[in-house]
Amino acid sequence: MKLIIGYLYGDYMNIYGDTGNIIALQRRAEWRGIDIRVKVKSLKSKIKKKEVDIFFFGGGQDQQQELVSRDLVLSIKGKTVKQEIERGVPLLAICGGYQLLGKYYKPHKGPRLQGVGLFPAYTAASDQRMIGNIVIDSRFGKLVGFENHSGKTYLEKNAKSLGKIITGFGNNGEDGTEGCIYKNAVGCYMHGSLLPKNPQLADWLLLKALEVKYGPQAKLKSLDDNIELKAHNIAIHRFT
Amino acid sequence: MRLYLAILLGKLISFISRTLKIGGGSAAPGLYALKIEPDLVEKLAGFIPKNVIITGTNGKTTTARILAHLAKEAGLKIIRNPTGSNLERGIASALISGAKLNHLNHPEGGLRWHLGVWELDEFAFNEVAPKLKPDLILFLNVSRDQLDRYGEIDKVVDRWCKTISKLNPKTIILINPDLAKLKNYFKGETKEFGKVKNIKTDGLNGTSFEFQISNFKFQISMPVPGMYNVLNATAAITAAYYLNIPITPLNNFQPAFGRFEKLPFGYIFLIKNPAGATQVFETIAPLIKPNDRLLLALNDNLADGTDVSWIWDAVFEILLQKSSRAKSRDLSLYVSGNRAHDLAVRLKYAGFEPDAIEVEPSLKKALKRSREGLKGKLFILPTYTCMLELQQILAKMGIKKHYWRE
Repeated sequence: MKLIIGYLYGDYMNIYGDTGNIIALQRRAEWRGIDIRVKVKSLKSKIKKKEVDIFFFGGGQDQQQELVSRDLVLSIKGKTVKQEIERGVPLLAICGGYQLLGKYYKPHKGPRLQGVGLFPAYTAASDQRMIGNIVIDSRFGKLVGFENHSGKTYLEKNAKSLGKIITGFGNNGEDGTEGCIYKNAVGCYMHGSLLPKNPQLADWLLLKALEVKYGPQAKLKSLDDNIELKAHNIAIHRFT
Repeated sequence: MRLYLAILLGKLISFISRTLKIGGGSAAPGLYALKIEPDLVEKLAGFIPKNVIITGTNGKTTTARILAHLAKEAGLKIIRNPTGSNLERGIASALISGAKLNHLNHPEGGLRWHLGVWELDEFAFNEVAPKLKPDLILFLNVSRDQLDRYGEIDKVVDRWCKTISKLNPKTIILINPDLAKLKNYFKGETKEFGKVKNIKTDGLNGTSFEFQISNFKFQISMPVPGMYNVLNATAAITAAYYLNIPITPLNNFQPAFGRFEKLPFGYIFLIKNPAGATQVFETIAPLIKPNDRLLLALNDNLADGTDVSWIWDAVFEILLQKSSRAKSRDLSLYVSGNRAHDLAVRLKYAGFEPDAIEVEPSLKKALKRSREGLKGKLFILPTYTCMLELQQILAKMGIKKHYWRE
């Protein structure tokens, strides 16, 4: 079996250890004998349909995020990603990546930046820096990470959140929600890195990728996650 | 009068904390004295004929120490903030401990120093640099470090640009070529570091190289390993050159505590951010021998950075790939600190055998375990507060002096 990770703008959007998520997906696939490769899809690249099996989109610095936001819309890469998500391709987007895949971003000054519109959500700049450890309750069980953002994301009525806040700020520090899930695409504010310490989410992304590529009978062998789960449990215990 | 009271209070706090051995007294005296006299740094630093600021993400302490070493060899009296306490309070504390109360009315304010060498945290730089009215500034580098506190890299540089645009154009500003952006904002002329040639390394014993600036050449040979320390030395020697301090080969230079330290049973290398940690891995990986062990310690206290995501940007993989034992994967690994388990996960994903990783959050116990039956050397890689704790443990074991004496 073969999988391709499409690392969206990996050369610009890779702040706060986001690459740890790529490492986690790679190792967990390799440990199961799956041939997995990473392709960075950046400013000059094109994305063909069925070329990428899992998308990852990290956070970036403001300047770079603006550059990427324009390219996503102008190069129609954003549109391609959205079409792929519609057919079930899994995606994980953290922080900046999550914001850019929403409907729009409203900065302090100036016009709205148009988003990809994949997640039924929008983000507004704020003066509040939301920093700290975050624990949420989700359909994947508890998830633990570290958030660091000032943008506040608001979900639309029909949107499903990734989970409810136990500790931390989440989407906006107001409504108790964190992240958004649409089909097999997950967006959230959780760095940490997220996937190494929440292996159940990493495996869900891998399984969805296999199902889309090789059919619904695809299975993942279980792994010894003793070390990962200890880190997961101890972090939750410390921060809640 | 306010200055007098502030210094008096600072000295009192310093005395108490030393007597009770509750800490190094490197921050608290300044912190409280600044509440009484907010202009303390400006006033006291004004008495020092020349002040140098060193800022950047990595290498500040070592660079400051090399510059101070050269200045001392030239017979100059140096005042500096020596313990990595690089916020305004750290500088205030150093100035307070250097000030003589009964001489405050003298022209030099009781501060009989020739040169102030101040390492400043990249964020605190903007507030403190104008107060120090520096004669020379060294900008080393910027990389990801404690983004939870400082925000993004671009913003750090943008703030520097703003700050230096207001500085006296006569200030000598030395920049790493990566920071060329700063040139456009400074009213004077920025200068680059000297050039390095023929670098020769001798394992953990040291490094030698040729340093060249304008028409001058110097042969340097220092007892410190690591390419990153060559860069630190280059920065410090360039500063010395512009300050007209004679340049000597550095062969009796001693590195700062914890940055690189030799112990009877091994070595300590401070790790604190992705770039710095990766440089340490590059340096030690080829030197780790079959009987050697590794003790890594990660805390998430404020001084370490509360976000431990950075360990995923540090290339731990090098420890395996570049080690002579790359294939065996059985290097004995001990992980410690309040985020020991996060380190264990990182090492597993870097390719180490999970069974070879022993997790012990208590640093004292981890040190004991990692030394049991140790036949080779122990490489200890702690983050900042783990390093401080380690110093205390080593002091109690009688291996080191109590750390405030450093």
